[in-house]
Amino acid sequence: MSTSDTTPSDEADLRAAEYVLGTLGRVEHEAYRRERAGSKSLQAAERAWEARLAPLAAAVPEAAPPPGAWDGIAAQLPGQAPRPTVQIVDLRPALRRWRRAALAAGALAAGLALFIAVERFAPAPETTQYLAVVNRGGELPALVVRVDPRAGTVQVRSLAAEAPRDRSLELWVVPASGAPRSLGLVHKAAGTRLPLPAGDRALLDGASLAVTLEPPGGSPSGSPTGPAVYSGRLVREEAR
Amino acid sequence: MVRVEDRLTRDRPDDEAAVLADLIALVATGRQDALRALYDRTAPKLFGLILRIVRDRGAAEDVLQDAYLRVWQGAAGYAPEAGRPMAWLAAIARHRAIDLVRRRGEVTMPAGEDDEEDWLARIADPRDSEAEFLDRDALLACLGRLEPAQRDCIVLAYCEGLSREELAARYDRPVNTVKTWLHRGLASLRGCLDAVA
Repeated sequence: MSTSDTTPSDEADLRAAEYVLGTLGRVEHEAYRRERAGSKSLQAAERAWEARLAPLAAAVPEAAPPPGAWDGIAAQLPGQAPRPTVQIVDLRPALRRWRRAALAAGALAAGLALFIAVERFAPAPETTQYLAVVNRGGELPALVVRVDPRAGTVQVRSLAAEAPRDRSLELWVVPASGAPRSLGLVHKAAGTRLPLPAGDRALLDGASLAVTLEPPGGSPSGSPTGPAVYSGRLVREEAR
Repeated sequence: MVRVEDRLTRDRPDDEAAVLADLIALVATGRQDALRALYDRTAPKLFGLILRIVRDRGAAEDVLQDAYLRVWQGAAGYAPEAGRPMAWLAAIARHRAIDLVRRRGEVTMPAGEDDEEDWLARIADPRDSEAEFLDRDALLACLGRLEPAQRDCIVLAYCEGLSREELAARYDRPVNTVKTWLHRGLASLRGCLDAVA
């Protein structure tokens, strides 16, 4: 069987299917793994079978893992602290303000910790994207923010950011110097794609993103009025 | 001041898959906090899959940890265009779980009548996104066209991790018969799903 074929033979495709199912015998299993390593077509066949059968996974009930399970994983990761670029200067004040706001609004359990990770994604500078992941309480992630300066969009996927019912979450870009500019409201159901005003694109380097708690419909004044529930600096890395 | 609220657009309901894909991309850059976020979002699903196959909480915890370390090492190899993140994650978890039970070499006792799950009836999950919903309906319809023995072997192998030998014991048939059922069932399934797609 050629390893460069785009479609594997019927026999090979069924071996990929049985590998995904887990029903190959031990010898066949090992032989399959060796052959797959050099066969793009077999790898593609395997991905296709994973996709075909994946809906079956929904039939199996979820089960909460033991509380210490994550610690066992973390202990085996390379012992590296979060990178210094993710330090967020105003995180702690924001944290206290958010706690107060949350307690006042009764919307969130106390205990909020935010991570922000900003990464340069694509290899070419003109396709640089920034990605931030925001966790809440060290457990449930709250927001994923993707900034694409070339397309001029900020995409916010709200996972568990529960705004109090009578408030809105508003996203701001805060230039290194100058007043914050509103990018729009973060909606909680699906992802929100916010156009980045053309003038703001050049301001991204060294800028921060911030999410504040505002009256319904957003800040009436055009400037942030509520507590910052999240903020993080965008760090642009040089092209490799 | 530019106000942009009126230009908001919504993503398709595949948002969850997109979030998981973003997190996996961050894990590939070495972000441990992204792995944690991915774990928080997907561990109950993966632990459920593993537990069903391994049937022992202590062993399942070991497999779960092993699976996320594989995710950590292999995140750069995930290609969003090749499949949904959950399919990729489920495959990693199932393979780790099945490797363990095969290594353990135990033949699990055939389940009693009252222990039998109707897996197909359990698939309906209203939280699925529209795209996943369509995939699921197609799979259900195509499984429904298979001969019952072929269908049951595929579903039991996937959901409970049964081997050919275990399936043969359960149906009191030779292993080669089970192998034939699996091959015929999988080939019919592929033909049916490809025709639907």
